[in-house]
Amino acid sequence: MAPTKQDKTVRVKDAQGAAPSQRPTVLELRGVSCVYGKDRPAITDISLAAQEGEILCLLGPSGCGKTTTLRAIAGFESVSAGEISLGGRLVSSPGFRVPAEERRVGMVFQEYALFPHLQVAENVAFGLQHLSRDAQQAQVRHMLELVGLPDLARRYPHELSGGQQQRVALARALAQQPVILLLDEPFSNLDPDMAGKMRQDLHDLLRHTKTTTILVTHDHDEAFAMADRIAVLNDGRLEQMDTPEAIYHTPSTPFVADFVGQADFLPGTIEDGRVTTEIGEFPVHTAYRGGRNVVVMVRPDDVHIAPLVNATAYIQARLFHGSENLYTISLPSGRTVHSSEPSTTVYPVGTPVELQVIATHTVLFDRSRNHLPSS
Amino acid sequence: MTSATASLRHTLPHPLSLLALGTACLLALPLVYVCYLALTADPAIWFRLWTTRLPELLSNTAWLAASVAAGTFLLGVSLAWVVVRYDFPGRRMWEWALVLPLAMPTYVLAYVYSHVLGLGGPAEQILQTLAGPGARVMSPHSYAGATLVMILDTFPFVYLLTRAALLNFNVSFDEVARSCGASRLRRLLGVILPLLRPAIVAGLSLVILYVVSDFGAVSLLRYQTLTYAVYQQLTGRYDTGAASVLSILLVLFALLFLAAERWFRERSRFYQTSGRYRSLERRPCGTLGTTLITLYLSLVLGAAFLMPAWLLVRWSSSALLQGAVDARFFGFVWNSVLLSGLAATAAVLIGLPLAYLACRRPSRLHLLCLHTAYAGYVLPGPVAALALLVLFSQLAPWWYGTALVLVLAYVVHFLPAGLQSLEPALQQVNPNLEEAARSLGESPLRVLRRITLPLIKNGFLAAWVLMFLQSMKELPATLLLRPVGFDTLAVRVWLEASEEYYQLAAPSALLIVLLTLPALWLLVAKDWRAA
Repeated sequence: MAPTKQDKTVRVKDAQGAAPSQRPTVLELRGVSCVYGKDRPAITDISLAAQEGEILCLLGPSGCGKTTTLRAIAGFESVSAGEISLGGRLVSSPGFRVPAEERRVGMVFQEYALFPHLQVAENVAFGLQHLSRDAQQAQVRHMLELVGLPDLARRYPHELSGGQQQRVALARALAQQPVILLLDEPFSNLDPDMAGKMRQDLHDLLRHTKTTTILVTHDHDEAFAMADRIAVLNDGRLEQMDTPEAIYHTPSTPFVADFVGQADFLPGTIEDGRVTTEIGEFPVHTAYRGGRNVVVMVRPDDVHIAPLVNATAYIQARLFHGSENLYTISLPSGRTVHSSEPSTTVYPVGTPVELQVIATHTVLFDRSRNHLPSS
Repeated sequence: MTSATASLRHTLPHPLSLLALGTACLLALPLVYVCYLALTADPAIWFRLWTTRLPELLSNTAWLAASVAAGTFLLGVSLAWVVVRYDFPGRRMWEWALVLPLAMPTYVLAYVYSHVLGLGGPAEQILQTLAGPGARVMSPHSYAGATLVMILDTFPFVYLLTRAALLNFNVSFDEVARSCGASRLRRLLGVILPLLRPAIVAGLSLVILYVVSDFGAVSLLRYQTLTYAVYQQLTGRYDTGAASVLSILLVLFALLFLAAERWFRERSRFYQTSGRYRSLERRPCGTLGTTLITLYLSLVLGAAFLMPAWLLVRWSSSALLQGAVDARFFGFVWNSVLLSGLAATAAVLIGLPLAYLACRRPSRLHLLCLHTAYAGYVLPGPVAALALLVLFSQLAPWWYGTALVLVLAYVVHFLPAGLQSLEPALQQVNPNLEEAARSLGESPLRVLRRITLPLIKNGFLAAWVLMFLQSMKELPATLLLRPVGFDTLAVRVWLEASEEYYQLAAPSALLIVLLTLPALWLLVAKDWRAA
């Protein structure tokens, strides 16, 4: 039982230099619900908070309500219950909504929404009407340098590449020094190589400018790479809010476990503080408060295999991923588990193998209370 | 794909290319000839026109175009805004109904209005009961009258294009402006209207193109424009030199606005988001809002379509009672159908190889042939007539005055409209389908018959119907080129209306309006997006 959930949170705090709790809260949602039309809930009872300078990621499948949450924060959707505060000011509650144009939020849309009739500089200056002309120009120059496009001020949006358009959209959103930056699937319109590079650049930029950011995505890799904390949403509800490491290693629901990475679920029974499954025995976490019949979550990187002539499990399939080999192992019961092996470890399909499960932390779900993802 | 094209090159009959080249030359001949006539005209003609008619004609045409553009801008944009941004009972019906005025040829609307606004007409009677016997309404035979009629007839162009652009408007633009702190007015003036600009300008260019080349309305309302002057030079003075000089100015006008329309349409591509986006939200209307909107829409549609259509129906029924719908009338119907049918069939047969070659084997020659076929676009009816008139009287006088010349004029004039529905139909047929059939052992000709033709059947039919109905309501070329005593419906409307026999003109006019409706449906349904 090496690093627990608690330990990881502490490590992240250290990396940032100050504990999030010591910094002022910029955004707070208290029990927020939104409905589409009549009684069709889009999100239900969402509570979360973001501290200054924090990058918070809303993660979930399409239709889970993450974009609705973002739009409620921006002021484009009304809330049917709960409250939203932004920078210490109440901005949304049932029947009350500060209009989006008075919230000072910076928003980057999925398709960037750069005004096609305005040049890059005019786009970036769009939210700076209150400043003098000189101040506007200075701010535009500063923003374009910040996003690394100082020479493109006179271009029109259709003359830019996808990555450049995204940077301009970012510069436009940040130019008005928003209370909070909202990003809606910012990388989904870029090709994968570009997205990887932009992810890194954006992360550096947000850290550098200490911008409080809410990022919406359906891609857990993106969330892991960008976020200080991740809020996983499913079916309009908040399933778990935690650091990326905790979300991955100690998911609080089977849905989270399955959504943020490959996971196998094996039935087991608790006896004397240990849980027995088909592939071995594991210690039960002291925090577990459920029934005796459980399922154990196993990730491929926890399972290692070695060929053994008399073994009852065997290799059903191998998928080569470049940096790893993902084996599908068939167990005597007919269930399968997955194992991640180094790129160069190649066994032929059909090889009988012995399983070694190195679980530093056991993740258990009560079988009677949890609906398991089908896999 | 290139290898397949190469193999086609060996198997397709080479004469097809020659045929395409030949037809393209034939189609371009009128335009080339008009230019030739104008450029070789006696400089004295240029000088005489310049010192006498031309300044007035140019300023009349320009003023009419400008005022109609301004009017259609206000009507078209406001109507599109109302039906896209607001929700009120009957909205879907109105969205369709606002296109109906396009079914009224300008000469029909002009003739209805010259009665309604004319001396002792209904408008004057109403005004006199309200304001006393001395009151006069504006004369329809004036700049104002021509402007009114043309606005009512052409605002749907602006309405249609603006509506489509508004429906395609990505609400993210509005939202991002809000998150930048922009007020409602600033968003309207700084974001929404500028983004609609290409669509609006494209619509206005179409309107101006239409106004500049219109003959029906200006001739009935006796408002002197370039097109009308060309006709007068040809009929009154039989001065082909002067007519060609005026024509080339018209062609230049038309080219200018056609180019503008193309350019802005192309530009509007940049202004629309591809892929997924959310549209603007409609605002629901209360009772007052619904009443005001319905009043406005009824007023516009009533003036542009319902009232004229109702008058036509009333006049037609009294003409029917007087026995005006007799064998002679059915003779005119037959003449119209015969000419239009011949023209549409010929145009489809000519257009298909051109479109096919340009689409499947887009060599420079084939593309040139196709573009040449579009030359008819910049030839207003009287100009096309002028060219053919002079050409035939000099080269083939024995054909002059036969229906053949008229059919040829229709083909030159309306082939572009047909090509616009043939071309996309062909482009939508994936060449892989033809190649798959080839790989299954079919010869190119059988592939054409079994694969290509069945797949483009609808576009083919649409092109035929469009050209048939356009020819049906064509007026100036028919007036100038028809064989003696060979009247069509359009000609009858114009002749009777010129003599102010409103009731006698009505059955022909009504029939033309009714027949134009399917063409309108074809035109609009192609780009219609239900909201």
